[in-house]
Amino acid sequence: MKEALTKQRRLITVSALLATGHQAGEASVPFLIGVIIDHAVDGGAGDLVFWLGVLGAVYIALSYSFRYGARAAERAGEQAAHDLRLRVTRRVLHDRGGAETGRLPGALVSIATSDTARVGAVAVAIVYGTAAVVAVIFTAVLLLSISIPLGLLVLLGLPPLMWLTRVIGKPLEERSETEQEHGAQASGIAADLVSGLRVIKGLRAEEAAVGRYRLRSRSALAATVRSARTEAAYRGVVLTVSGLFLAVIAVVGGILAARGSITVGQLISSVGLAQFLVGPLSTFGWVGADLAQGRASARRVAAVLSAPVAVSGGDSTLDTSLKGQIDLRVRDMAVKIAPGELVGVVAADPAVAAEIVRLLDRSADPDDGLIELDGTALASLDPGSLRAGLLAVEHHTDLFDGTIRSAVSLDRASSEIVEAAMVAADADEVARTLPDGADAVLDDGARTLSGGQRQRIALARALAADAPVLVLHDPTTAVDAVTEARIASRVRELRAGRTTILITTSPALLAVTDRVILLHEGAVRADGTHGELAAGDDTYRETVLA
Amino acid sequence: MTTMLPIAAGRRTRAVVLVFLKPQRARLVGALALLVAGTIAGLAAPPLLGHIVDLASSGGTTGEFVLAGVGLVAAALVEAALAGLGVALLAQVGEDTLARLRERFVESALRLPLEQVEQAGAGDLTSRVTNDVAVVAEAARTALPEFTRALLTIVLTLGGLAVLDWRFLVAALVAVPVQIYTVRWYAKRAVPLYAKQRVAVAAQQHHLLATIDGAPTIRTFRIAGEHSGRVAARSQQAVDLLLRGIALQTRFYARLHVAEFAGLAAVLATGFFLVRGDAITIGTATAAALYFHGLFNPVNTALALVDDAQAAASGLDRLVGVADLDPPAHEPATVVDGPAAIEVRDLDFAYRPDRPVLRGINLTVARGERVAVVGATGAGKTSLAKVIAGVHEPTAGTVTVPAGEAVLITQEVHVFAGPLADDLRLARPSATDDEVRAALTAVDALGWVTQLPEGLDTEVGEGGHTLTAAQAQQVAFARLMLADPPVAILDEATAEAGSAGARILERAAATALSGRTAVIVAHRLTQAVAADRVVVLENGRIVQMGAHPDLVATPGLYATLWQAWSDSRQ
Repeated sequence: MKEALTKQRRLITVSALLATGHQAGEASVPFLIGVIIDHAVDGGAGDLVFWLGVLGAVYIALSYSFRYGARAAERAGEQAAHDLRLRVTRRVLHDRGGAETGRLPGALVSIATSDTARVGAVAVAIVYGTAAVVAVIFTAVLLLSISIPLGLLVLLGLPPLMWLTRVIGKPLEERSETEQEHGAQASGIAADLVSGLRVIKGLRAEEAAVGRYRLRSRSALAATVRSARTEAAYRGVVLTVSGLFLAVIAVVGGILAARGSITVGQLISSVGLAQFLVGPLSTFGWVGADLAQGRASARRVAAVLSAPVAVSGGDSTLDTSLKGQIDLRVRDMAVKIAPGELVGVVAADPAVAAEIVRLLDRSADPDDGLIELDGTALASLDPGSLRAGLLAVEHHTDLFDGTIRSAVSLDRASSEIVEAAMVAADADEVARTLPDGADAVLDDGARTLSGGQRQRIALARALAADAPVLVLHDPTTAVDAVTEARIASRVRELRAGRTTILITTSPALLAVTDRVILLHEGAVRADGTHGELAAGDDTYRETVLA
Repeated sequence: MTTMLPIAAGRRTRAVVLVFLKPQRARLVGALALLVAGTIAGLAAPPLLGHIVDLASSGGTTGEFVLAGVGLVAAALVEAALAGLGVALLAQVGEDTLARLRERFVESALRLPLEQVEQAGAGDLTSRVTNDVAVVAEAARTALPEFTRALLTIVLTLGGLAVLDWRFLVAALVAVPVQIYTVRWYAKRAVPLYAKQRVAVAAQQHHLLATIDGAPTIRTFRIAGEHSGRVAARSQQAVDLLLRGIALQTRFYARLHVAEFAGLAAVLATGFFLVRGDAITIGTATAAALYFHGLFNPVNTALALVDDAQAAASGLDRLVGVADLDPPAHEPATVVDGPAAIEVRDLDFAYRPDRPVLRGINLTVARGERVAVVGATGAGKTSLAKVIAGVHEPTAGTVTVPAGEAVLITQEVHVFAGPLADDLRLARPSATDDEVRAALTAVDALGWVTQLPEGLDTEVGEGGHTLTAAQAQQVAFARLMLADPPVAILDEATAEAGSAGARILERAAATALSGRTAVIVAHRLTQAVAADRVVVLENGRIVQMGAHPDLVATPGLYATLWQAWSDSRQ
């Protein structure tokens, strides 16, 4: 937190100064009202003009200091939040990963948005907190200059009263907050039902969903009404307490004025100042809450920023003239792949298949084992450099907003390569069905496309990366058989001479490989062509052909 | 081609809100009466303070001061009690009206034909259900009571000023033209700016979510630089707009400061001359000044709420627009005796008139028959499934389902937020725990369900335990078991899980379909082999129909498909 705010130090200082000026101005207004009324008794019209001029000057000063103070404070806060948001994003996207461990995407997004905003809000809280402190001191000086006993009464009386309202208010406030949360759930549930609309429609469960929503909405209503009542009660308490305080000041001030210790105008000023003081003192309340929230948020942000990396060590860069020989020895699995081979890997257990992709991508390092690329251990390579030479794509892979063309080219592959990759993955066919072709814009993760269409675009992207070594995991599960067979042979053609590993149980893909390795119960069970294994191995037939 | 869902005109919205308010009329009147009484009690304070000032200048006794002090305390107590009750009652009116409105809205939204929702784009309904409901709720919760209270305080304070001396009222009104100008000036700039702000903030959120969700893909393809650049650009855009909003607000307050000063100076000058002319006491002048100073906060509150109110009003228009559609509830299908379960006659279907998707489809499915629909991507399989399921209306021709209810299960899996048992009970609200368990057992899911932290009561879906794609699909099949419809339509329901997972799902699907008439959009030809009959679609037409062995033996599209499929298995 400190770090993020230190960068905004200048803005914070400037805005704190300006906000202080604003508060001093606001405090002067009731004081001046008293002065002017005082002069009504014994002054002339010249006095009125003079003091109204002073009031005008005070207004100009307070207005401008508020204007630029508030802007500077918010700028500091927003800029700090923005910087943190980018740091969180960069940390999450860091080559070595690890930020997602133990955190759901939703939680990370809320850290990157809400928590960074709360840390930023600390800048604003510091500004207004400082200004409130100065305002209290300034008011105290004014009050004490009017009358020492009255000033002391206000200054010593107000803090315990504020404390009292907080003590009474706190449990009420907490109760109100939990009930508010209950209330907010109603809109959450409505949103969830609407996002599952197709499922509800398909099930013909509209009426069941309507009924369920009505129940939730009713219980949320009960909760929010309770919360509104609690809040109203709390406000009543605050109103009573401040009324009581004002009465005491007015009575004591009145008696002092009647005895001639202070003037009538000073009495009015004192009452006005006492009323004004409630403002800065209640500022302490929210500033305290904001600081506490900011600290909690800063801890969450810091936890992400300092999250241990998923793969540590190794920063050599990959040799540019990559042959593409892979030697994997993990636990009891030993797999050797020669340069330029097109190899199928069949894993009966989907978890093992996913693990191998992660290991080759160096999203994770093996606990027990070693993987070598051209004789160099993957663990000794910088992950970014490794991925430039060895591209291992998970089964679940995301498409991002943009045109189909840019989704495939990633704005770096040449148009010939993109063209060839689109054809090989049959993604050109997807583009043809859309009005704008390859320039069609995919938004929201391309959810308007069918699963098969998304897979083909994702496959084209993997092929267009033109990596010396390519590893694909079940790239065509949602593609129909004819298309899948066509894709298989084209992928073989496109990847000729470069190491390619297909981790899949799809017979159409396996049929075009040079060789298939069957992993079963944590070890290599068989190694041969698709035809041989299909003819000679029961487990293979069961896993692939069933 | 998108057609937005309707947005109600302001007049219609007001009429609907009035109808919703009607049963609450007594409460509303009571709340307003309490608020008025409470505010008046509060307005007794400045004259009492003025009285103390007068006592001070005329040398009153301690007893008189204390009496005035007691009056001040009493005023505060009465104000606190009455205004508190009034606010609570008003909130109840607002909340209750809001609850009934949002229920009607959700009811209408859930009953809307899917076609209409899809034409409007998925975001339209979602943004109404999240943003607009939240904006309106927030307004009902905080803005409405605060605004009412501020407005009453302003009006009654002006009345109080007039009671002190009519000339004070005239002086106070000096501020009004400046305030009216300021609000107009502000609203004109604020509304479009805040709309832009909301769009920018939503875009930033959307982008962050996509980036963080896709982090593994981004790392794999080494595109972190571009993506953090995009996040930075969106975030900066949102920050810039937020700061522009702040700048606008500070200019708004600067103008209000002018109004404050003008009014205060006028009231003070009036008091000054009236006191000198002995028209009023100094206490009255004090009361007037305090009244006017006390107007600052409510005026700022009321004016600042103007844009909340505008946002809430446009949110309401969007809610009422959908609520007003009020589509009929889904009638349970009637069962007609006879051999046919599904009858499709001369069906044409198109999403857009110039692009026919299905042409001249004729198909009768017998009760208990299992039909697989096969064809290349884009042949119209999914459209046929949706038309049979009643999701889309035929462009021409008829589709009837004499067998009764038809349930559609697609590859789009959604797990509803809340306990898993509640999700399943959407399909049959009356299902007992045993029935729920039986359904899960049938689809091989009870094993992992019992291993969840709290079994059937585990919170799943958004904010809860995340299920894998395959588990979510098993849940979909379990729902099908519970809904127990005579006809089931499956579209790509086993596609997304990866090949090994697909086999588990195929088993689950087979169990869930047993005893039902089924239409299956088949990706893996194993599903076609197991079907009683295969329908082959090409470019929106049925080109072949028959049992698997017959079709394999006949030269044609299916035989080619089968060749490709089985070749890969040799």
